[in-house]
Amino acid sequence: MARDDRPPPGIVCTGLGKTFPDGTAALCPIDLTFQAGHTTALVGPSGCGKSTLLRLISGLETPSIGRVEIGGAPPADTLARAGLAVAFQDPSLLPWRTVRGNIELALGLARHPVVDRDVDQLIRLVGLDGFADVRPAALSGGMRQRAAIARALATGPGLLLLDEPFGAVDELTRQQLAQDLPRIWEARGTTTVLVTHSVSEAVMLSDRIIVLSARPAEVIEDIAVDLPRPRDPDLGRSAEFDALTDRVFAALSRGMVTREPPLAAQ
Amino acid sequence: MTMAAVVAAPARGGFATALALIGFLALWETAARGLSGAYVLAAPSEVVVYIANNAGLLGRALAVTLGHAAVGFLLGNLAALGLAAVAVVWPRSQGVVTGLALLVFCLPLVATGPILRVFFGPGPWPQILLAALAVYYTTLIPLLVGLRAVPASWFDLVRSYGRGRWSALVHVRAVAALPYLFAGLQIAAPAAFLGAMVGEFTGAERGMGVLTIRAMRALDVPMTWALASVATAVAIAAYLALGWVARRVLRDDPPVILAAPPLAGARRPFAAVGDIAIVTGIALVLWWGALEWAGLSRFFAKRPADVFEALVLAPDAAATRATLFAALAETAVFLVPGYLAGLVAGAGLAILLVLVPGLAGLVMPLAIALRSVPIVTTAPLVVLLLGRGAVGTVVLVAVMVFFPTFVACLHGLGRAPGQVMDVMRSYAAGPVARLVRVGIPAMAPAFFAAARMNVPAAILAVTVVEWLATGKGIGSLMALSASLSDYNMLWSAVVIVSALSALGYGAVGLVEARVLRTYAPEQLA
Ligand SMILES: Nc1ncnc2c1ncn2[C@@H]1O[C@H](COP(=O)(O)OP(=O)(O)OP(=O)(O)O)[C@@H](O)[C@H]1O
Ligand SMILES: [Mg+2]
Repeated sequence: MARDDRPPPGIVCTGLGKTFPDGTAALCPIDLTFQAGHTTALVGPSGCGKSTLLRLISGLETPSIGRVEIGGAPPADTLARAGLAVAFQDPSLLPWRTVRGNIELALGLARHPVVDRDVDQLIRLVGLDGFADVRPAALSGGMRQRAAIARALATGPGLLLLDEPFGAVDELTRQQLAQDLPRIWEARGTTTVLVTHSVSEAVMLSDRIIVLSARPAEVIEDIAVDLPRPRDPDLGRSAEFDALTDRVFAALSRGMVTREPPLAAQ
Repeated sequence: MTMAAVVAAPARGGFATALALIGFLALWETAARGLSGAYVLAAPSEVVVYIANNAGLLGRALAVTLGHAAVGFLLGNLAALGLAAVAVVWPRSQGVVTGLALLVFCLPLVATGPILRVFFGPGPWPQILLAALAVYYTTLIPLLVGLRAVPASWFDLVRSYGRGRWSALVHVRAVAALPYLFAGLQIAAPAAFLGAMVGEFTGAERGMGVLTIRAMRALDVPMTWALASVATAVAIAAYLALGWVARRVLRDDPPVILAAPPLAGARRPFAAVGDIAIVTGIALVLWWGALEWAGLSRFFAKRPADVFEALVLAPDAAATRATLFAALAETAVFLVPGYLAGLVAGAGLAILLVLVPGLAGLVMPLAIALRSVPIVTTAPLVVLLLGRGAVGTVVLVAVMVFFPTFVACLHGLGRAPGQVMDVMRSYAAGPVARLVRVGIPAMAPAFFAAARMNVPAAILAVTVVEWLATGKGIGSLMALSASLSDYNMLWSAVVIVSALSALGYGAVGLVEARVLRTYAPEQLA
């Protein structure tokens, strides 16, 4: 598979904030560091600014205040050499291209050679064998998300940004992916940022979990996940796992309390 | 039956279409036999006999006109593709590009035809250019809509691999716009035929238009009907052929609607005023520059300054203005009622069809096919049937406006989101309530798009009828000026009619912006 040979980049966000032109403060200034080669999960209430944070890191959105550095340089540098890949919250597959065609488009855009064997292997990895030549309209929601994951992996990016990549994927496939994907990340030393609403998924996949509060987002808790790898599904029944999920849930419920005035008071 | 299903009906409407066609022919034949003494209506049987007896003549004329229409179709669409690409790659130019395009679209063919004839002589170029002028706008607008009808996340995808606008145009926009391109081409094909025919009205040597003029002069009823029938058949065939190609390429039906983006839209009013000024300036410079560059004589190729002189400075300027405005007033008497009647009938019938769904399968395919008929080529028939008075003109304008409005409205009604309809039904809302709450708001954008696009179309219709038949109004004044070589008057008329036409378009756009702000704000984003 195509590889980015640079060492995986760390990400430093300094005083990073975003206010949209319509006045919505999607992200209040926040300081965060994502360690190179690690998988960091972001969890937080809906609308708290997780997608916005990912877009700021990827350089698709410009900050209103503060800055992002990837490996010491602005995100634009990483973008320019196609050094990152995003699996968007909505799969964003081009409807007129097949699963294979969508993956090949990403390779083409990133100026990577298309190696059929690698593409086939990726499609198998996300459990879409037999659907390589099917258009997105004929896929289920979860299948589309898996195609989008395959596309994001195809360019072998040093930085992988996943925005709720498993939202519509069924539980068993999700467990399977949770087994397979980290193996790839580890083998490549990819820096991964994973946005998810599933606490167990966050614990299962990440080295660290950042719990954000309701909008405007603040870091409620920063939890290291020191579980051994590779992690098999049985880990989900262990005491350490339970302790970690409890901690994340507790932090989430603390963060749920909106700091904006309630509607009646406005 | 849901609204969506009503609009889906044409897909399985082959049988219904055949029935409607047979019924229509039977009615026509009966009417013709009933009116046989009146010399207005030729029966289908007479038309067939005429065509069979004159197959050679008609075939040669048709080949000539088709050839010119095809070249014009190609040129006009290439121009549309180029302009659309410029507008998309360089978004700030979009207001100016569409504004200029609109202005050219508003040129009255009835006057540009004779002017081009003076420039080019009896050769094929006036026909070809008029065909090109008739099509480029109908392609440009859907193309622009299509190039922009792309979810933002697809652009994010392209950008996330470090690529820019150009890659987005090639990999995303161009493909996403294909269905819209075909929708435009489908309308453009018959329009090119119409343009070529109008070009031939202005004094070509051969072609369908030449025969039509000859038939009218000779009051040859079977010939007039035969020519109109052939023109209609060719237009429908071109429409269906492009639809077939589109289905092969897209593996899907092209979208039916032509929702042109509002000209001024939701942008700041100052930006719109600025654009209008820029467009006017560029148009004047282009006009002046092209004529100077071609070195055309000031006698017949009037420059902007000449028109200003004729309308404002010359000693007889007041008389010129008075003649022009008298003619315009005469035209308005036919134009405004016809335009409004066409809009009301189109929207009304669409609503009726949704309330009485059984009708849809019967009427929809016929309406879609008839929408492609260059109504203006049937002008001689309307005159034969309804006389040279007011009724014929008003009816023709109304018919011209009716079909696009009807199809657009029906399509808009069909787009009422199914889920919202389900919610309405779950609250036991009746068909009328559903129509008022969901259907009509969903229809509004399509209705207004049609109303806007139909301003120039209605003016084309009214001027052609005045020119060919009634001898009243601005169309007749332009024709008269052309034959008297009164080029000051002709060019002044072109300027005034184009400006009024663009103004009408803008005025409908303003009403539209107001209404859409409440009913469909996402259309203005
Ligand atoms: N382009 C935009 N313009 C204006 N406001 C926006 C825009 N994009 C996002 N927002 C607002 O910013 C806030 C954060 O949005 P964001 O998409 O980052 O949330 P999220 O945490 O990803 O939510 P979810 O978990 O539901 O995906 C929301 O209140 C949203 O309404
Ligand atoms: Mg999100």
